[in-house]
Amino acid sequence: MSNPDQNEKKQECQNQRECMEMLQLILDGEASPDQKEHFLMHHLEDCIPCYKNYHLELTVRELLKTNCTGQAPQELIDSIKAKVIPNFLSR
Amino acid sequence: MDHMELEESPKQQYSDKEKENIFNNEFMPHINSMYNFAYRLTLDQDDSKDLVQDTYLKAYRFIDSFQQGTNAKAWLFRILKNSFINDYRKKSKEPSKVDYQEVESYYNSEEVDRQITPDLRVEALKDMIGDEISNALNALDVDFRTVIILCDLEGFKYDEMAKILDIPIGTVRSRLHRARNLLKEKLSEYAKQMGYKNA
Repeated sequence: MSNPDQNEKKQECQNQRECMEMLQLILDGEASPDQKEHFLMHHLEDCIPCYKNYHLELTVRELLKTNCTGQAPQELIDSIKAKVIPNFLSR
Repeated sequence: MDHMELEESPKQQYSDKEKENIFNNEFMPHINSMYNFAYRLTLDQDDSKDLVQDTYLKAYRFIDSFQQGTNAKAWLFRILKNSFINDYRKKSKEPSKVDYQEVESYYNSEEVDRQITPDLRVEALKDMIGDEISNALNALDVDFRTVIILCDLEGFKYDEMAKILDIPIGTVRSRLHRARNLLKEKLSEYAKQMGYKNA
């Protein structure tokens, strides 16, 4: 996606609230193909605030995924198995 | 055990071999996501271990209520969420629950339009080392934190989230929208502390 030329594009979005909602639907994988195409192909390229918001939202999601996930401690896994597995063997 | 999980589907009658297969192949693979969810809810390592262990033991005990081929991860998350509310929320140091009436009416008010996004920039975000993101998420009220975890970290769809949380899809959407704005406000505060002007 090319960077919109700041001189020819909309500096203000008239429908910012609706656009934010649409943007989140799209990023959450909940928008229909038509909604997606209309917004990404026809609106995003022409509207600077929405273009910026799109990249901001993408970045926040990426950062959340890389920084806020972790692994369960091995002792926890062992302890769960130790408590449950005897139930499979006892009968 | 909350009765809610048991009403979902007709009872199955699995053999011990089938139970073992379901437990090992459908439940255990979600252990990292489950631990992460528990940790983000309780914000305490010992509590989160207990919560995950309780959840898996309940999942085993009520395995006949799980229908094979349905979404095991959502089923497990729902049990964990209910256990958290019933057993942990009372004793945790969480601030009191948000008044949703207030939140939803705020969401529907004109005020939201004016400050819809803090003027946070991608460059400021990229300079954050990671702790800021994690701290910002942890600083949100637990109900807002939860929807971000379910959606952005775990990739649940809105209808799955509605079932896990026992709320309508419309509420999932509005809560998510509000949660993301609050998260960006937090991140914007951190960016300002890092010296970004108008971040």
